[in-house]
Amino acid sequence: MAQNPAALDPHVKPILVQGGASLHKITDDISKITESQTPLKWYIAIGISSSIALILFAMLGWLVWMGIGVWGNNQPVAWAWDITNFVFWIGIGHAGTLISAILFLFRQKWRTSINRAAEAMTLFAVACAGIYPLFHTGRPWRAAYWLLPLPNPYLAMWPNFRSPLVWDVFAVSTYLTVSALFWYVGLIPDLATLRDRAKGVRQMIFGAASLGWRGSARMWNNYEKAYLILAALSTPLVLSVHSIVSFDFATSVLPGWHTTIFPPYFVAGAIFSGFAMVITLMVIARWALNLQYLITIRHLENMNKVILATGTIVGYAYATEFFIAWYSGNPYERFVFINRAFGPFAWAYWAMVTCNVVTPQFFWSKRLRTNVPFMFVLSIFVNIGMWFERFVIIATSLHRDFMPSAWGYFRPTPVDMLTFFGTFGLFVTLFLAFCRFLPVIAVSEIKGMMANEAMHEAMHGQPVNAPAVPEVLEGGRH
Amino acid sequence: MIQITKKLTGKKYWRSLDQFYQTSEFQTWVNREFPSAGQDMLDEPSRRNVLKVMAASFGLAGLTACRRPVEHILPNSKGIEDLIPGRPNYYNTAMPLGGASMGLMVEVNDGRPTKIEGNPNHPWSLGRARAYHQASILQMYDPDRGLAFKESGNNSDWAKFEAWSGSVQGQLGDGSGLRILSEYLHSPSLSAVRKHALTRFPKAQWIEYNAVQTNETALPAIARVAFDKAAVVVALDSDFLGLDSSTVLPVKEYVKGRMVGDADETVMSRLYTVESQFSVTGAAADHRFRSRSSDIGGYANALLAAIQNTTSPLKVVGQTPNTDKAVAAIAKDLIANKGKSVVVCGPRQPGGVHAVVHQINQALGNVGPVVTYLNRTSEQQTSQVDAIKTLAGDMAAGRVNTLVILSYNPAYSAPADLDFVANLKKVANVIYLAPEEDETAALAKWQIPAAHYLESWADSQAPDGTATIHQPTIQPLYGGKTAAELVATLTGFKDKKAYDIVRNYWLPILKDEKGWRKALHDGMVPNTTSTAAATPNFAAWASAPTPAGSGMEVVFVPSWSTYDGRFNNNAWLQEVPDPITKVTWDNAALVSKATASKLGVQMNDVISIERNGRKVEAAVFVQPGQADDSITVALGYGRTRVGRVGEGTGFNAYAVRTTDVFGFGTGFTVSKVAGKSYPLVQTQDYDSQTEPQLVSFQPKATRPVLREGTLAEYKHEPNFAQEMVETPPLRSLYGEYDYSRGNQWAMAIDLNSCIGCNACTVACQAENNIPVVGKTEVARGREMHWIRIDRYYTGNAEDPQAVTAPIPCMQCENAPCENVCPVAATVHSPEGLNDMVYNRCVGTRYCSNNCPFKVRRFNFLAWHHDTKESQKMQWNPDVTVRMRGVMEKCTYCVQRIQEAKIDAKAKGKRWMVDGDVTPACAQTCPSDAIVFGNVNDLNSRVAKMKLSPRNYAMLAELNIKPRTTYLAKLRNPNPELEVRS
Amino acid sequence: MLPFFKSNTPVNPVYGVVGLFDRPEDLLRAGEELHHKRGYTKLDAYSPFPIHGIDDAIGVPKSILGYIVFCAGLFGFANAVLMVWYTGAVDYPLVIGGKPLFAWEFSIPVVFELTVLFSSFGAVFGMFYLNGLPRFYHPTMNFSRFGEHTDDKYLLVVESTDPRFDVEELQAVMSELGAATTEVVEA
Repeated sequence: MAQNPAALDPHVKPILVQGGASLHKITDDISKITESQTPLKWYIAIGISSSIALILFAMLGWLVWMGIGVWGNNQPVAWAWDITNFVFWIGIGHAGTLISAILFLFRQKWRTSINRAAEAMTLFAVACAGIYPLFHTGRPWRAAYWLLPLPNPYLAMWPNFRSPLVWDVFAVSTYLTVSALFWYVGLIPDLATLRDRAKGVRQMIFGAASLGWRGSARMWNNYEKAYLILAALSTPLVLSVHSIVSFDFATSVLPGWHTTIFPPYFVAGAIFSGFAMVITLMVIARWALNLQYLITIRHLENMNKVILATGTIVGYAYATEFFIAWYSGNPYERFVFINRAFGPFAWAYWAMVTCNVVTPQFFWSKRLRTNVPFMFVLSIFVNIGMWFERFVIIATSLHRDFMPSAWGYFRPTPVDMLTFFGTFGLFVTLFLAFCRFLPVIAVSEIKGMMANEAMHEAMHGQPVNAPAVPEVLEGGRH
Repeated sequence: MIQITKKLTGKKYWRSLDQFYQTSEFQTWVNREFPSAGQDMLDEPSRRNVLKVMAASFGLAGLTACRRPVEHILPNSKGIEDLIPGRPNYYNTAMPLGGASMGLMVEVNDGRPTKIEGNPNHPWSLGRARAYHQASILQMYDPDRGLAFKESGNNSDWAKFEAWSGSVQGQLGDGSGLRILSEYLHSPSLSAVRKHALTRFPKAQWIEYNAVQTNETALPAIARVAFDKAAVVVALDSDFLGLDSSTVLPVKEYVKGRMVGDADETVMSRLYTVESQFSVTGAAADHRFRSRSSDIGGYANALLAAIQNTTSPLKVVGQTPNTDKAVAAIAKDLIANKGKSVVVCGPRQPGGVHAVVHQINQALGNVGPVVTYLNRTSEQQTSQVDAIKTLAGDMAAGRVNTLVILSYNPAYSAPADLDFVANLKKVANVIYLAPEEDETAALAKWQIPAAHYLESWADSQAPDGTATIHQPTIQPLYGGKTAAELVATLTGFKDKKAYDIVRNYWLPILKDEKGWRKALHDGMVPNTTSTAAATPNFAAWASAPTPAGSGMEVVFVPSWSTYDGRFNNNAWLQEVPDPITKVTWDNAALVSKATASKLGVQMNDVISIERNGRKVEAAVFVQPGQADDSITVALGYGRTRVGRVGEGTGFNAYAVRTTDVFGFGTGFTVSKVAGKSYPLVQTQDYDSQTEPQLVSFQPKATRPVLREGTLAEYKHEPNFAQEMVETPPLRSLYGEYDYSRGNQWAMAIDLNSCIGCNACTVACQAENNIPVVGKTEVARGREMHWIRIDRYYTGNAEDPQAVTAPIPCMQCENAPCENVCPVAATVHSPEGLNDMVYNRCVGTRYCSNNCPFKVRRFNFLAWHHDTKESQKMQWNPDVTVRMRGVMEKCTYCVQRIQEAKIDAKAKGKRWMVDGDVTPACAQTCPSDAIVFGNVNDLNSRVAKMKLSPRNYAMLAELNIKPRTTYLAKLRNPNPELEVRS
Repeated sequence: MLPFFKSNTPVNPVYGVVGLFDRPEDLLRAGEELHHKRGYTKLDAYSPFPIHGIDDAIGVPKSILGYIVFCAGLFGFANAVLMVWYTGAVDYPLVIGGKPLFAWEFSIPVVFELTVLFSSFGAVFGMFYLNGLPRFYHPTMNFSRFGEHTDDKYLLVVESTDPRFDVEELQAVMSELGAATTEVVEA
């Protein structure tokens, strides 16, 4: 890629769009991705990923036909890979909204190049996650609507609002809906751009999708307001979702689950894994779509910093858990954690610690932090580690709880593994489709950022390195 | 059940049955009296066709089920005799097992027997039943039992047999070629038939043989031990609480002796056991000594000597270093309790040892107050082993041309050295009353289906002679015949039908119809208890004590699941784990740790046990507390010709069980089979309440789940159990729900009484339509028992003590499972029950995760999918059959509570007292450990028990407020012997 | 015919005058000139991205979206509380884990989520409503170079309904202030 020397020099502030591209070039480059002839490699890629996704559907079919017994779940480990994968994907789904909303409120203008793709990733991750809460139930055809507060002529019963699982249903579905709206609202101006570049059917489609957006000042006025409000709403939402997911465990009586530290610890972990996944995808995307000059080293580096920070928080949480287990003097608690680190599942525990606590520490070094191949590998490590974290929490706490007579062990079946494998197929398929048919980068935001910089200079003669993004773009007023 | 699905699914049945329904001969055949008459439809006797007939007979079972028997049988219910739709009737009958008759009460729903309870009037049952009796009902519905009349392999029927018998009677002449092999005879009517047969054919012989015996048959009289009258009990290789007694009485009496009063004037008997394998009696014992069964004789003689102040002719070769000290202490204790102590020894021990033991009791003056002697109901003088030895000799010598087999499957269970299979081939006419298509049936000329005791007229006697007339509760499902019918037909007895044989025998004794009806109603014939026999002269019997053979010994014990093999095809019993090893679906070679390392084997390795060219291979199970150099193998597994449940389970110990090592013996060469292993499956993987030491800095912690103390501790500190766990004041974030009004159901379980005998587990399975999952699923930890029995070892790993406890759902008032259910499928009833709403459950399994006791059970797969049509007839109509994907668990038998409440309401009564409701587990518990009732009724037993200082709630520190609480176990160790912690 | 498609009978043949600018600052100046100096009120500016200061330049009022969102959020909150209370404590009361039939503690998550959900609905659909979306036809689409303003051009539109509407003046001012082209667009 075209390395910008400034990107490597800590004293010079690296710029967010390299090579002073013109507005038209940006519009053109992004739009071309969706307009030009579909490349063969895309067909190959989606061919592979969608066939993997087919495995997922086959496995789910088998599961519904036979029953949960085709998985390795048992007594006492009644939850295993199902909920592990659910939390894993939900966690990944946190980066997108975080980047869009929180970084937006904190006026981190570097978000603009990556938020669109990150939001898309969120949606697809949450979609993958959503599979599990439904299909891990013994009777999904009932669970599909009995968990919702619908009048039910069959038993005239309502959901139990004391149950964290019901909270989950509300949290996850709200999260999915709001993320989707947020994403779509951001897309509208770019869809309009595509519409205006297109002809015929394509134009009709994008015309309908962009709802007839004209980008008039009066529209932008309401639009910015809406975007700001959505950001303000999404920020507590994204924090609440993983807190509530963690309530599944925190509100139980099970030693190893019954812990007040879970909400912050889960949120940190979610951001951790989410950013890792964004890195994984962005490194591939910017290479595949030649967007190095838009998704610069600085973007990646900033995300790596977040990974380092959250990874350290997670490590701290692990330590705290052990300390409290000892300090509380609760024998059951104490045993669960000793058993976690030295019991039958020790291998999983230490795999988790290595991937989540040790590897991120490499990012203290700027050289590694800005080395693309390295960060790619490391981001994958982090995702493996975060999967193990969820598995460790669920399996090791369950398999040896209060009654020694009821202790057991968990072994996954091929169906467990293939189902999980299949979710990646679904995830990648959706993401490939997104890259092909929609603008992967928020064109109007980038252009706004650049043009407003230039305009400032022209009108008020301020230097470029003044706050580049005008408040107006951030929805501010004065 | 995995084992079953791979054979043949219920679906196939129905397909074949439907085909049958089309054909016209099926219709005609349906209208005939007995379904099995349909063998004439079978062209060649292929398994498939046999199964077809079975399938067909289910349908007929359905039909017959709707028909009440023709002869009059009398319900136990008072007043209305006719069936009230939806309400069960109860009939008293009895089940013969191990030479003893147990009085039972059978629940019959719409003509289908569905549940077994003990007959409260019966002195040897006292309203309780054991696992075998509970499961015997499944035995009756077993589709694999449905077999055909066969004559030398060709299908035949009863009529043909009658004709054949008529012709053969002439040829029998004086009967010198006629032998009749039955089990220990305790059926008066059959005895009558026997008498007739032996008078008509004077040279004929009637042989009695039980593969598993509950008392030593070599002795002239049977000892009747009143354990409740004994302050000191010494059990020498005797599992009198478990496998060595097939009735409830001994358990009841023993537990009575253990009942403790208030702390101060507590009275409690003391139990010593000396045994090779860890039995439930050993688990209950205050002092347990490991010793090879071969050395028991030594112990007996030593004790006798110590008591008579002579020197023992036999030195004890025990393994416990302080054996002599132990013997001395025991002897001292016995002498201190003259006239109120007893020494018993198990049926495995030879007559000589029994004689010595009886001498001890005589010397102590226990004969009379504690031990009395009963005349045996059978007239066979020689021991059974000798008897069958003679029979085999005659067969080998060709002196037998007609052999009638009424006993259980001798081709499989006879001593190996008798080559019974080979000898059977030498007998021209083998007539076998077959309980199922088994090893013997394959060799018999005539295969006559045997009627199950629940479907036939017969009678049997308890050890003390108490006679019960068996009432059929349903028409024979597969057209079976009784032993009396068979012999009567063959020998031309005046009565041919079972009903006539029984009735005509008893009517003179019972005077008139009224007496007959009363006897049926009560399930007992009045004044049939035999008069006490004169105390035999045991000194004469005591053969000169022979020193125990050294080297590796093998001990043969009956199995908790299959008994002697007859329950091998019984899924309930196969799945219920052994009370001590917790191994299910298999037997195993139990060895001590030391022996294992000596043999260089570990768990699941396979060893070959060889003796005089006979050998068996068995999987090794390392059993704590097992005597060194002693291998215990349970009988009744490794069947070669058995139904689909029993197929491929365990190892056949009969293969090396010869007449000279009938109970146990030495001279075996035991070696590891290299590179071979066999996975044994346990329902409990971790054996101790002490946490495993995973890392050096881990503090050693023991979880006081099951709490026990010594009698001394208890007297000194009655509340020791409650004080084992210190909890901060337990307060709820919200207010507590008020349960102070109305009926509030609760349970108290006395660990001091529980012997871990599995009766509650099987009773629960029968009452609540609980599925069986099979070995592979148990291995995954998916067994479905609603009430499981936990067994923990305490003390040192080599020679521990064991404590057992039934663990049902605790019905917590602050139930953690309820909060987390998203669809409110498990909620609390105002009467304090933790209800399951099966049709609301979506199966998130969250409740199971949040259950501290892990008593919830999930239908991971469609367990009931391949339940056979005939077995479905056993299902309790008051209980939902749960589909897959649904969570299930104990509900204190809510269906019984509801039934009782409806009855009460009809009487305009709301308040429930003891006896109104009893869950299946509490009703059957032989040791009275489980007590259930309305805790708001301060006069109820459960309320009183909860006031006991021993009462404690498991995991009370979680503030879950369990409704089921436990009473701590007490042991009464001899202060002179070191007390194991 | 759906309302947001072109209607057959235009009220007024002329919709307005459109000027196309290459640079945002020209657009701003033209806007200020027309609105503040010459008192045009019915003008609008089309741009590929929101331009800082354009609202003041051409007099776009402050958005009222905030109030809509607040009401929507309040609606969601009230609904949630009512639902949890009615289903659990009124319609089908059940004793669950010894907990009360209704309590704030366990209602909070659901209440919070529903509040957020309805607020976001308010934000998005409120914005659609205020912007009159979806609207697939608009007279400005008759402008010959319509569409370039979603790439890198900027349009200034003055509607004919403006009281001071004067084609010549408008075209003169716009081209003077740097409009690349100006055009009269009919409805």
